[in-house]
Amino acid sequence: MAATISPSVTTSRPARAGRGKPIDRQWSVPYRFLLPYLIVFAIFWLWPLIDSFLLSFQNTRVNPWTVDVAVNWRRLWVDQAFHAALRNTLIVLVLQVPIMLALATAIALALDSPKLAARPLFRFAFFAPIVVSDVAYSVVFRLLFNGQYGAVNQALTAIGLPALDWLHDPTWMMATIIIAVTWRWTGYNAIIILAGLQTIPKDLYEAAAIDGAGAWRRFRHITLPLLKPVIVFALVLSVIGTMQLFTEPWLITDAQSSGVSIEMLGTYLFKQGFRNLNFGYASAIAYTIAAMAAAMAAFNLLLARRSPT
Amino acid sequence: MKTTVAMRPGFAGRALAATLLAGATLFGGAAHAADDVSGEITVWSWNVAAAALQAVVPAFNKEYPNVKVTVQDLGNQPVYDRGLAGCAAGGTDMPDVYSVENGEAEVFWNRFPECFSDLKTMSADEGALLAKFPAFKLTELTVGDKVYALPWDSGPAVVFYRRDLYEAAGVDPATIVTWDDFIEAGKKVIAKAGGNTKFVSTNGDTSWFRMLANQAGCAYFDEKGESITIGQPGCVQALETIKKINDAGLFMSGNWDETLTAIKANALASAVYGGWYEGSIRGNAPDQSGKWGVFKLPAFEKGGNQTANIGGSALAIPASSKNPKAALAFVNFANGRPDSQITQLKASGLVPTLPEAVNDPFVKEEQPYWGGQRIWEVVLGTLPDIKPSRGTQYFAEADSLVSAAYTNFLKGQGGSAQAVLDDAANQIASATGLPIAGK
Repeated sequence: MAATISPSVTTSRPARAGRGKPIDRQWSVPYRFLLPYLIVFAIFWLWPLIDSFLLSFQNTRVNPWTVDVAVNWRRLWVDQAFHAALRNTLIVLVLQVPIMLALATAIALALDSPKLAARPLFRFAFFAPIVVSDVAYSVVFRLLFNGQYGAVNQALTAIGLPALDWLHDPTWMMATIIIAVTWRWTGYNAIIILAGLQTIPKDLYEAAAIDGAGAWRRFRHITLPLLKPVIVFALVLSVIGTMQLFTEPWLITDAQSSGVSIEMLGTYLFKQGFRNLNFGYASAIAYTIAAMAAAMAAFNLLLARRSPT
Repeated sequence: MKTTVAMRPGFAGRALAATLLAGATLFGGAAHAADDVSGEITVWSWNVAAAALQAVVPAFNKEYPNVKVTVQDLGNQPVYDRGLAGCAAGGTDMPDVYSVENGEAEVFWNRFPECFSDLKTMSADEGALLAKFPAFKLTELTVGDKVYALPWDSGPAVVFYRRDLYEAAGVDPATIVTWDDFIEAGKKVIAKAGGNTKFVSTNGDTSWFRMLANQAGCAYFDEKGESITIGQPGCVQALETIKKINDAGLFMSGNWDETLTAIKANALASAVYGGWYEGSIRGNAPDQSGKWGVFKLPAFEKGGNQTANIGGSALAIPASSKNPKAALAFVNFANGRPDSQITQLKASGLVPTLPEAVNDPFVKEEQPYWGGQRIWEVVLGTLPDIKPSRGTQYFAEADSLVSAAYTNFLKGQGGSAQAVLDDAANQIASATGLPIAGK
C-alpha cells in the first residue's frame, strides 16, 4: 500500500498543503489517495457492469454477436424456467430470512447476557460456520442429508419418524437449502445484532426496571426499537445474499449436475451464461436480480426510516 | 519396465527403435518419426473415460517416448463447464486434448469456431483416418469441411443385472422381452431382496428419457437440427414407459457416485446405461465378480427395437495447445488404432467406434466378471440397429427444459405425457427460436 501511494504523496506534498498552498488544490488529495482503488474499480467493476448491460441487448447465440434490443428482455417475460427460479428464490427469501433473523436476535440476546459463562467461546462458536469454506460445508451437508445413509435420516428413523428424501424431492430439497443457509449465516447476523445490542445504554434498562417494566416489556419497548437500524441492516444484507444464492443449491442439492434440482436465480444465471453459453440472456438475468435486490433493500430502508423509533 | 527401457535408450538403440517403431506404425497411418514428437501434453477427461485414456498411455509411450502425457480426471460436467469457460476466455487455461460428448459438442464449434483446431489441417493423413469412422459419429463433429474432433466411443445401451438377485426372485432375464415384463420383474426382485434395494437408479436427469426416446426413434431435435421433435409419438411412448417404472417404485434416487455406492452395498439390482457403464460397475465392485450379467434393452412391444445410444464422445485439440503435434499423435493413437480402442474397452468398457476394432477377437471372449458371458457380443451386436440422434448446439438449453418437465411429470403434474412434451416443445421453441416439427 505505502509503496503505491508514496509517489503521489511526495510529488504533490499534500500533507503540507495547509502551509501557504492555495486552498483549492486540496480538493484532489482524497482522490489521489483513492486513485489506485479507483483504477482497479474501473477496470474490474465499472467496465464489466457497463459491458454486461450492453450485452443484455445483444443476441449472443450467433457468431458474431448481433445487436437485438429485445431478444433477451422479452424472453424473461415468457421463460417459465426463469419464473420457476424466481419463485424458488422468493420462497427461500420469505421463509428463511425471517427465521434466521429471529434466531439471530435470540442468540444475540443470549450472548449479551451477563449470566452466560464463557461468552467469548460461545460467540466464536456461533460465528464459526462462516469461517468454514462453503465447499467443505456443502460436502458435509450432502453427506448428512443423504437419503439412504445420512445421519439426519438415521436420527429421524431412530425416533420413529419417516426418512425423507432431502436431496431429491423438490419440497425437501428446499428445506435442506433453508436449513443449510440458516446454519451458516445465523451466527454472522447474531454478531452484527450483538454489536447493536452493546450500543444500547444500560441506564435505559435500569430506568425501565425502576418503573416496573418486566423483561418482555423492556425487550419490546427498549431493545427492539433501538435495535431496529441494525436488524434492518442485517435484513438488507440477507436479502441481497438470498437473491444471489448459489453455493447451497449448486453443491448441496446438486444443481450442478443436470438432474432434479431446485433452480435459483443464481444457478439459472450461471447455467444460461456458462452452460448454454448465452451471455446476453445471462446479463439480462443478472440485471434483473440486481434491480430486484436494490428495490427490496430500498423498500426495507424506507420502512425503517418511516416508522417511529 | 519396457516403458523405462524405451524411454532411455542409447543413441544407437534409439535410432534402431525409431526405425522399428516407424515400420510398426505404418499400418496405423501414422508414419511420422515418433522421435520428432516430444513435449508434455495434458488431457482432460472424466472417470471411466479418463481411466481408459490412462490405460493407453504405456503403449503410446513405447512409440512416442518423448511425450509426457498427463490425464486429468475432472469429472464429466466440470470438463464441459471449464471447456466452455476457457473458450469464452479466448482459449486460456485449456488442455492439449479435450474430451467432449458428441451430443454436447456442437455448441463449441458453433460459438467458438476458433477455439479448436480443424484436425484435417493438422496432418495430411487425417482425412483418411476420419473416413474410417461411421457417419453418425462424425455429423456432430463436422462443420462444413472442418472436422473438430476424432470420434472415440459410443454408448449402446443395455441392461446390466445382478444374476443372484434376479435368481433369488425366480426371474429369468431371458423372459424379459418388453418394458412391461421389465417392470413386473423389478417388482418381484425388490420384493424378494427387501431392505433398501431398488431395481434401477436415476438422478432425475434426462438420460432415461433420452435412451428410451432414442429407442423409439425420437429425439429433442430432428437429424438436421432444424426443428423440434420432442412432441412426437416416440418421445411420448418413452415418457409414459418411464412413468410406469417410476410408479412401480423401482427407482432409487442418486447421482453418479451415490449410485455406485448403492451397487457396492448390494442395494441396486440393475442398471440401464450405455456400454461404458461396464467399467464403472466392474471397477467399483470387484468383489461382485461373477454376479453380474447383461441383457438387451426390453422393447416397447414384442419384436420392437431393442437398441439405443446414450453418450459417446470424441477427442478434440484446442487451438491454444502449445504442443499440437504431440496432442494429435496421442489422439490418433488412442482413437485411430484398433488395438488402442480394445485396450480402452478392456480397461473401462468404452465401446469402440472404429470398425476394425469392432471385429477384434476380444469382443467374442467370455468375461469372467460377467459370469462368463460374452457381453461385448451383446453390446456391440446392437450397434447396427441404433438410430442416429442429433444433440445440436442447443442441447444444454433444451435438456434443462426437458429435465424440469420430466421431473414434474413423474410427480404427476402437468397432465398427460403428450401435454407435458408439447409444453416442453413450446418452451424449447421460445428458448431457441427453432420451429416445432409439423407445425
